[in-house]
Amino acid sequence: MFQYYFLLGVRSLRRNPVLTALMVLILAIGVAASVSTLTILHVMSGDPIPGKSERLIVPLIDNGPLKGYTPGEREGDEMSYRDAVNLLASGQGDRRTAIRGASGTVEPARKDMPVFTVEGLTPTRDFFAMFEVPFLHGGAWSEADDKAGADVVVLSSKLAEKLFGNANPVGQRVRMFGFDYSVVGVFGKWNPVPRYHRIVGGPGAFGDEDEFYIPFHNAIRHEMGQNGNMNCSSDRGPGYQALLDSECIWIQFWFELHSVADRPQLQAWLDAYASEQRKLGRLQRNAPNKLFNVMEWLEEQKVVGKDSRLSAMLAFGFLILCLVNTIGLLLAKFSVRAPEVGVRRALGASRKEIFTQFLIESAVVGLAGGILGLLLALGALSLIGSISEQIAVTTHMDWMMLLVTFVMSVSAAILAGLLPTWRACQVTPALQLKSQ
Amino acid sequence: MEIKPIFSALMRSKTGPILVAVQVALSLAILANALHIVSVRQEVAARPTGIANEEQVFSISVKALNPGGHEQQIATQNSETAALRAVPGITSVANVNQIVLSRSGNYNSVAANREQERSTASPSMYVTSDSLVKTWGLKIIDGRDFTPQDVLEFDQKTSKAFPTVALITKVLGQKVWPDAASFVGKKMYYGTGAEAREVTVIGVIDTLETPSAAMGADGEMSTMVPARTSGSSRTLYTLRAEPGQRDRAMKDAEEAIRKLHNGQVVVHSKTQSEQRVNRYKADYALAWMLITVSVLLMMVTASGIVGMASLWVTQRRKQIGVRRALGARKFDILRYFVTENLMITTTGIVGGLLGALALNQLLVSKLELARLPAEYMVIGAAAFWALGIAAVYGPAWRAASISPALATRSA
Repeated sequence: MFQYYFLLGVRSLRRNPVLTALMVLILAIGVAASVSTLTILHVMSGDPIPGKSERLIVPLIDNGPLKGYTPGEREGDEMSYRDAVNLLASGQGDRRTAIRGASGTVEPARKDMPVFTVEGLTPTRDFFAMFEVPFLHGGAWSEADDKAGADVVVLSSKLAEKLFGNANPVGQRVRMFGFDYSVVGVFGKWNPVPRYHRIVGGPGAFGDEDEFYIPFHNAIRHEMGQNGNMNCSSDRGPGYQALLDSECIWIQFWFELHSVADRPQLQAWLDAYASEQRKLGRLQRNAPNKLFNVMEWLEEQKVVGKDSRLSAMLAFGFLILCLVNTIGLLLAKFSVRAPEVGVRRALGASRKEIFTQFLIESAVVGLAGGILGLLLALGALSLIGSISEQIAVTTHMDWMMLLVTFVMSVSAAILAGLLPTWRACQVTPALQLKSQ
Repeated sequence: MEIKPIFSALMRSKTGPILVAVQVALSLAILANALHIVSVRQEVAARPTGIANEEQVFSISVKALNPGGHEQQIATQNSETAALRAVPGITSVANVNQIVLSRSGNYNSVAANREQERSTASPSMYVTSDSLVKTWGLKIIDGRDFTPQDVLEFDQKTSKAFPTVALITKVLGQKVWPDAASFVGKKMYYGTGAEAREVTVIGVIDTLETPSAAMGADGEMSTMVPARTSGSSRTLYTLRAEPGQRDRAMKDAEEAIRKLHNGQVVVHSKTQSEQRVNRYKADYALAWMLITVSVLLMMVTASGIVGMASLWVTQRRKQIGVRRALGARKFDILRYFVTENLMITTTGIVGGLLGALALNQLLVSKLELARLPAEYMVIGAAAFWALGIAAVYGPAWRAASISPALATRSA
């Protein structure tokens, strides 16, 4: 019976073509608007590294000056060089990395290619395993290179191709920042959305892919300037050593825990570390030391902007309007079919069967609206993506959203069909037959 | 006159009219808020930066491969400035550390007094060795611009030197010295405590936005100090071209710098208009999204009114025929439907105004948006009245055109 009603529903789409087209279109627009805003929200607030996000931890230690401090405020989202080095040496967690930004010039060996600038990060060796960076060639630099801050570099596949073509560049030399680096690895496309490993300090959660990684201690050894934020609460002396000794915060730190259960232990260690530093005259604010896992960190950094929430809210308001509109149109469509219902009821169809038939017919409208809505949503997303580069990376639809689109559209249509269907069931067969 | 019979007719079948009224109410609630948000964003994006004739201004960033030591870097800066000044069509060149609206810059807290516990404001600090005031066409409302004698030359890497004079914006002056009539000659401190740097304010700029151009007064808190420094990773210049010459002059300027360095240099240039577009990209995107939704809202609501009105016309064919046969003019039928529709939309509009306030309340509390001014509600209400009449006119005209003879005969 379902199949037969379904076919009837499809056929009835053609009965009032203008009315039906309007209904499908309005439902499609409503669904498209809410699905495209929902997709952006979904991608922005999604878990970028499922299964591991609870074990990757950002520690924050407040090292701001006591003067003018009101409890509750925080100096910043990064840490000083001193703390970063101490935490690296702490042995806490399975892995540790300190990240900061670096940018500089590349002088290609080929004379026909002009000098250009690149932007990347200076992590420690553990970074690649912690964030599951996929390698195409080679791999991370060695423990010894990490400690010594050797001139080794991991390139993005894009940069590697630009410099060396399609050949495997591992072992080759590239002149960067005025030094000769040897290539130890090339990573494939890796630009998580959001860029949770570097939301702070750089271009934000939706920036471009990193072009290279060099060892943290290498950038320090070459006295490379910081590419990104630096927050200094007090005046520091001139020179690089003064920066390293200062309380300026400019380095982001990550721990990887063996299991979630180790978190209290890390917290205890961090508190002990802070009170030890306090004895040395630092960290006078005595503010609570904080730990954030990936999802807490995204929440703390307000990765999902107010504008996205606003858009989603308005789009849902719009969907409700489309629903009310569809109720009206379905009412109109069904009301002209009272004679048909009268005949069917007189021939023995129960109210339940009429109800089922009309509801399935509404669902068919919903299905058509869903398909059109999906196309519209894809169009809208690519349009939004072309307007703003930053949002572009977040406008990819996944299977989850595809499913949501259909479920939303069909259930919206069924919901809208409830009242008109109920009205159709109220038809009194005798009265209808008499008036014909 | 006719209102009573129309009203009792409406009360007999309430579902349709209620649906239309709900649609009008929902759309009005969303529309009023959406339009308000759009206009707030447009206002923000159109704020003056302080730069006169922005379309003539661009910036060029120079990163030499082998910058050399302090002496060499200063010499390079001088020859770069000379090379840029020599480009035809360039009227003014200034060395600067940061660009308005570029979203990346220096912020240093300032205070009126060394002994303050906390600093008063955290303005952005422009550093220039030329006349940035002249290149950007900034308006000095009190005091004077820097002279070449004011410019302090030092190496950022080794020296803690700091200029002794500064220009500030009017807004910053009002924040630091709320009661003062004039800020010229006042002593201002970068930082607090013993290490704070003392400067004398020598001039007041009417408006100069910060690189981030934050909302409200913070976006106009700027200071400017005269210095020529070495030791930063790149040198930045801002230039003004003759009207209409910008794009060509920008290319020539890049070329001149490359030639000066024999190609051993990375050069990037950007027009001030591009900076503005980049800074407000998210605002433009949101505004477009809201405008699209608003247009769709109006269309959906209009189609709802047309659909329901057409249905009523079809249902009342016979009655219309009878009324016409009994002497009603076409105009009477038209007026009936328009009046009926006005009654429904008015109910919807009343609901919509309440809805708009409620939605605004939600947005204010959840997303910290501004309160909805009354004029948006008035504009929205007027728009929906007009929309209602326009939408019902077609079906009503068809109803009026029903021939009484045909309509009564089929019964």
